[in-house]
Amino acid sequence: MINLAQHVVDTISVGGLYALTALGIGLIFGVMRLINFAHGELITAVGYALLLFHGWPLPLAMLGALLIAVVLALVMERVAFRPLRGADPETLLIASFAVSFFLQKLLALTVGARAKGIDFLPSLGEPIAVVGIRLQVLQLATILVVAGLLAGLSWFLGRTRAGLEMRAAAENFRMARLLGVRADRVIAVAFALSGVLAAAVAFLFVAQSGTLTPRMSLQLVVIAFVGTAIGGLGSLVGAAVGGFLVGAASVILQAVLPFELREFREAFAFGLVILVLLVRPQGLFPARGLKERV
Amino acid sequence: MATAEPLLAVSDLHVRYGAVAALRGVSLRVDPGEFVAVVGPNGAGKSSLLLTIAGAVKPQAGTIEFRGAPIAGAALEAIVRRGIALVPEGRHIFGTLTVEENLRLGITVRADRRQAAADIEDSLATFPILGQRRRQPAGRLSGGEQQQLAIARALLSRPTLLMLDEPSLGLAPAIIDQVYGILAEVNARGVAILLVEQNAARALDAARRTYVLNAGLVRLDGTKDTLLGNAAFDAAYFGVEMAGAARP
Amino acid sequence: MPAETLRRLWPLAALLIALVAIALVASLAPIVIQRRVVEALIYLIAVVALYIFAGNSGVLSFGNVSFMAVGAYVSALLTLKPAAKAVFLPGLPAFLKAAEWPTVPAALAGGIVAALFGLFVGVPLMRLSGIAASIATFAVLSITYVVLGNWTSVTGGQNSLFGLPLYADLSTVLPWALVAVAAAFAYQETRSGLMLRASREDEVAAEASGIDVHRQRLYAFVLSAFFSGIAGVLYGHFLGVLRVESFYLDMTFLVVAMLVVGGMRSLLGAVTGALVISLITELLRQLESGVPVGGITVAAPPGLGDAVLALAMLLIILVRPQGIAAGRELGWPFGARAQGRPVSSDRISGGEAK
Repeated sequence: MINLAQHVVDTISVGGLYALTALGIGLIFGVMRLINFAHGELITAVGYALLLFHGWPLPLAMLGALLIAVVLALVMERVAFRPLRGADPETLLIASFAVSFFLQKLLALTVGARAKGIDFLPSLGEPIAVVGIRLQVLQLATILVVAGLLAGLSWFLGRTRAGLEMRAAAENFRMARLLGVRADRVIAVAFALSGVLAAAVAFLFVAQSGTLTPRMSLQLVVIAFVGTAIGGLGSLVGAAVGGFLVGAASVILQAVLPFELREFREAFAFGLVILVLLVRPQGLFPARGLKERV
Repeated sequence: MATAEPLLAVSDLHVRYGAVAALRGVSLRVDPGEFVAVVGPNGAGKSSLLLTIAGAVKPQAGTIEFRGAPIAGAALEAIVRRGIALVPEGRHIFGTLTVEENLRLGITVRADRRQAAADIEDSLATFPILGQRRRQPAGRLSGGEQQQLAIARALLSRPTLLMLDEPSLGLAPAIIDQVYGILAEVNARGVAILLVEQNAARALDAARRTYVLNAGLVRLDGTKDTLLGNAAFDAAYFGVEMAGAARP
Repeated sequence: MPAETLRRLWPLAALLIALVAIALVASLAPIVIQRRVVEALIYLIAVVALYIFAGNSGVLSFGNVSFMAVGAYVSALLTLKPAAKAVFLPGLPAFLKAAEWPTVPAALAGGIVAALFGLFVGVPLMRLSGIAASIATFAVLSITYVVLGNWTSVTGGQNSLFGLPLYADLSTVLPWALVAVAAAFAYQETRSGLMLRASREDEVAAEASGIDVHRQRLYAFVLSAFFSGIAGVLYGHFLGVLRVESFYLDMTFLVVAMLVVGGMRSLLGAVTGALVISLITELLRQLESGVPVGGITVAAPPGLGDAVLALAMLLIILVRPQGIAAGRELGWPFGARAQGRPVSSDRISGGEAK
């Protein structure tokens, strides 16, 4: 019984992390129809930024790393994606792939491709007992952070002016502009938010893994991409749920598969994804109004 | 009449999409507070005309002047802020947002927040259906209700010129009556209207002046009296390839 | 009418002649240069393979490198000496352990198994819309990477697989390159290819005209998988060593970059991109190993080449998104139509005008 509860906690915390990653991707896709492959590089950048700010008081270091993510996201948008606004999704996809690759290689060039250890919030690795369930503080922190960010994002989208404009832009960008919504501002806010989400994911991820490599976000991001596809492109709820499900599937499979097959769990998870897409090609929560354009 | 400065002056407008020419030198004008219609068959370029004026499409040549200032090629967001509002074909209300949220988007360009908020309440009162359904997703409204919402939303920016693309499309005759009634009221309050319609009869009836657009060019213009029953009108509306029209 | 057929076949003939010419020139050069050219030709096959699907359907696939991996490992398993297999891959099924096939049948087997894999994966994937399909191909790449990387009994898992017969030189790779290019050309001229291209421009209109878009995509996907498999086979027999790690993101990026830079929408683009990028990477590689300038050796830091390549691809997308060839095939240089004949209209920037 306790074991089951532990598995549930595992599942929720891992799934939550992937949900957050997928949200960062889904947010941008919603307003720009761009799958930002480079979202992973935002996460990686935060990780390395923490290394850079090593020795600073922790809150300051985290704030600095967060700012780096936001600035990088905004620069990325301004330099690489703004000129391509209005291009078809395939072109945008290729562009984001190129940006992602460039940033990875740039990082490898400047800081080296070797793994670096990092000591970030090691206290989160401590065990703690909650209602008789043994878990890591980190897992509890993950669940709380994910829940908090989801709530915050919901509030932002549902209750603020900027959020309203973003929702309108996501449904029908040109109509929103015809009403005076400033495209540049909405997109910039979306990218900035994705930077914040990336930072949160990075903090949790780095605290757990303790290592930095230029490619460290790869696994997170591949699962998140696939998660958004399964959740339904264009829908934020879909992205979060899809990311969560694929992440959760990976954890569940780890527990459920016979030992020899455990290493293949990702393959199984993706296999399940393909199965779902077979049955529901548009995803689980397809966004309404995805085709709408003036 | 022609001596007063026009509110909107379009001159020799050329618009093409790739190899296809949508507008091939269109000129028209709307005077302050005037109700002008543009009629023509499908593919005449009517939508392109409105989209270009609103800034959604960039023209290849020609000028558009609003209140004396050139706006051709300016950004959509800037043109709205000058006082032009467009209700595009198909209405394009935000189905996943509530009626009230749709209206709130209408006041995006307004600097006077308090008055704007009051205007929203006015709209909800003026259009009782909208008031009743203020918290419902706008996607649940019927066609006619959506049209009301689209017009109310456009009016909230307090435009000097309201443009509508095929407002009667897909609506029952009784509802069309309603819509045109609203437009007449709006016009009576001093808002100029530029209306694009396939349904020529209604448009002719409502407008002070009407242009006939066909295959990217203005073929004819006049008032209801001069156009209705005029053989030239039929020729202008229904004739697709006319002498000289084949030239790119 | 012979003149008309000549004109129609010219784009293909010109490419084939160019490739043969390059190979001929290379055969006179030192072996080091020859090997570079062989490598370039292998990548060319991979890019042409990707083009067969992505160029004609408009859907970018990130999974073609997994077909390369499949082809490479199948051919490796069939050609490795049984003695080596007994040592490195003790877990292999008996018939594979004993197998020692000649090169061409093994290569064909590699291509065919890759094609079958493509069929298996393509059936569900082709039902997805463009972007979702692209993301799903990414999943295929990951799945293949994970499976091959952990299937230690068959592939050696994370260990390198040594001992592949090194038969991939100019005389063996050039014919495959010519076949790949010819096949790509032939395919895009068939009714099937044309139907797929129609769907690329406007999927809805194509469906309405009775084109079974999913089926056409599947055909292209399987053909693409076959040639990707062949490219993988040749890659393995060029290096003599296989690692699962090499069939992952770096190679995917390289192949995609080649196609994008050259121009995704024409065969000329695929070929041009492969050759141009191969040349650039070679130059960058030289830079990284050091170039004597005056009396000193100037060397670029390792990894600069990759970063530059990524930057180049980004610049192309921003500045000339249709690539070098811009969707055109080589035109007939003699006579009235001396300019490039566009195969279909280009529409990279969708934009406002719809």
